[in-house]
Amino acid sequence: MNGNSLDPRVNRLPKIGVPGQVAAKAPLDQFGTFEVFVQPKEGKPFQHEGAVHAPNIEMAYVLAKETFTRRFVCSSLYVADTRNVYVSPMTENTTNAYDLIAEIPQQSGEKVTFEIYHLLRRGKQHIHAGTVSAVGPQEAMLAAKAQLRGDKAIYNVWAIRTSDIRFTSPEDKDLWVTLPEKKFRDASDYKGGDKLKEFLERAK
Amino acid sequence: MYGGGNTFEGVKTDSLAQEDPVKLAEFEAKIARGEKIEPVDWMPQLYRKQLIRMIEQHGHSEIIGALPEGTWITRAPGFKRKLALMAKVQDEVGHAQLLYSAAETLGKSREQMIQDLITGKSKYSNIFNYPTFTWADSCFISWLVDAGAIVNQLANAKGSYGPYCRALDRICAEESFHLKYGHHCVIFLAAGTAHQRKMFQDAINRWWTPMMQFFGPSDKISTHTEVLMRWKVKMSSNDDQRNQFLDMYVPKIWELGFTIPDPKLKKNPDTGRWDYTEPDWEEFKRVINGDGPCNKERLEVRRIAEERGRWVREALKAPKAEYVAPLA
Repeated sequence: MNGNSLDPRVNRLPKIGVPGQVAAKAPLDQFGTFEVFVQPKEGKPFQHEGAVHAPNIEMAYVLAKETFTRRFVCSSLYVADTRNVYVSPMTENTTNAYDLIAEIPQQSGEKVTFEIYHLLRRGKQHIHAGTVSAVGPQEAMLAAKAQLRGDKAIYNVWAIRTSDIRFTSPEDKDLWVTLPEKKFRDASDYKGGDKLKEFLERAK
Repeated sequence: MYGGGNTFEGVKTDSLAQEDPVKLAEFEAKIARGEKIEPVDWMPQLYRKQLIRMIEQHGHSEIIGALPEGTWITRAPGFKRKLALMAKVQDEVGHAQLLYSAAETLGKSREQMIQDLITGKSKYSNIFNYPTFTWADSCFISWLVDAGAIVNQLANAKGSYGPYCRALDRICAEESFHLKYGHHCVIFLAAGTAHQRKMFQDAINRWWTPMMQFFGPSDKISTHTEVLMRWKVKMSSNDDQRNQFLDMYVPKIWELGFTIPDPKLKKNPDTGRWDYTEPDWEEFKRVINGDGPCNKERLEVRRIAEERGRWVREALKAPKAEYVAPLA
């Protein structure tokens, strides 16, 4: 760079072009997005955590692990391309999202399984509600309406073809086994109370 | 970490006259009831614009904020400190990812945000334009700048935009380690040798003014944010946040036997608020607009990173990909 930095590594960086002149970024310079679902504990449903940018679903999985599960307990994780998530209308108050899904005539073709997610409280995350079989996504939502609706208000429904999801294989579940050992990421590892007390005694 | 000193564009409320009054009333009623707004919900243009601006600035602050501390990773005193600082800096960059995603749900692509950062169009928290001369400077950031950020983030987590609140909940949970780690470092400096104590005292002397400026201009001169408060975009005023920070942390700094370089600083028993020397807001503006000790270096480092990563991005590019914003 310019040799003026306090950081020796910065001073070793190469010069690039004239400052202020940056080539415009291509629209997909940083790739498409993938939605990330995390299972916090064994037996709990998967919940939506957010999104990552990645060139493909395998990289999305790796980045999701690093972005969303490096800190707190996690039992499993999966990702799906945002474009493969089918979304119902969003509702509020007493309107149930399932009531806005239009009926369609029975479709012909092979049935596949879809994972269904519910938004039970506005402002919170979508939570996995169950699995249904259907020919297409809209039929999957109708099947979910019949099988998974329950009596709670549901403000939004997502459906993803099971085959479009990159799951964690059972043998990879040990990815998170060492999390509890990484105490250096935990506030409880930085107890300064004794040192502080000792210092205050001395300062008297 | 992050600064509350958002540079909100002078809020021009005249665009509100063009909004559908029925929808606007429903929108405001929803927020007044404490409900969250989600990406697919109707929202006024001004709300969208100001939120993009705020969340984007927050994301940039995480990225740039990782630099002044990151510079001390290689020189951290001992393996434990190095490990902790690496984890903390990684968290900050991770926070930027969460925030960029939240801003994307409002319709600005991540590419555009990064472009606006490296061309200097978008702003980030002003405090990161100052250098970390010593290890103690990095400890000041870990403890006190993060503390200030948490004051701001806890307030914003109760805001009205769903994806931003969810990102902040996660960020606040992660920040608790940063704050404890920072305090731990400072206690060890305070209880150390005379030289270590002097190092931290010097750091306070250098950082106090930027720290006071961190929460943004005084309410007296701040552009009117009434509509942003009503929409729960901005959750508490700059002066309120500054006061809350002083309330929580000045006693802790004094407890360690350090002094704060402001002769006027004291809690006013009549108002219950802190009196202090008004920070120089002209200097604040000047530094935000590019004339600080490290502005050039911070952006240059980002530009070099962008440039050097280009071949990786090109090698990985998926030809069939098309851009869609994340869902929530």
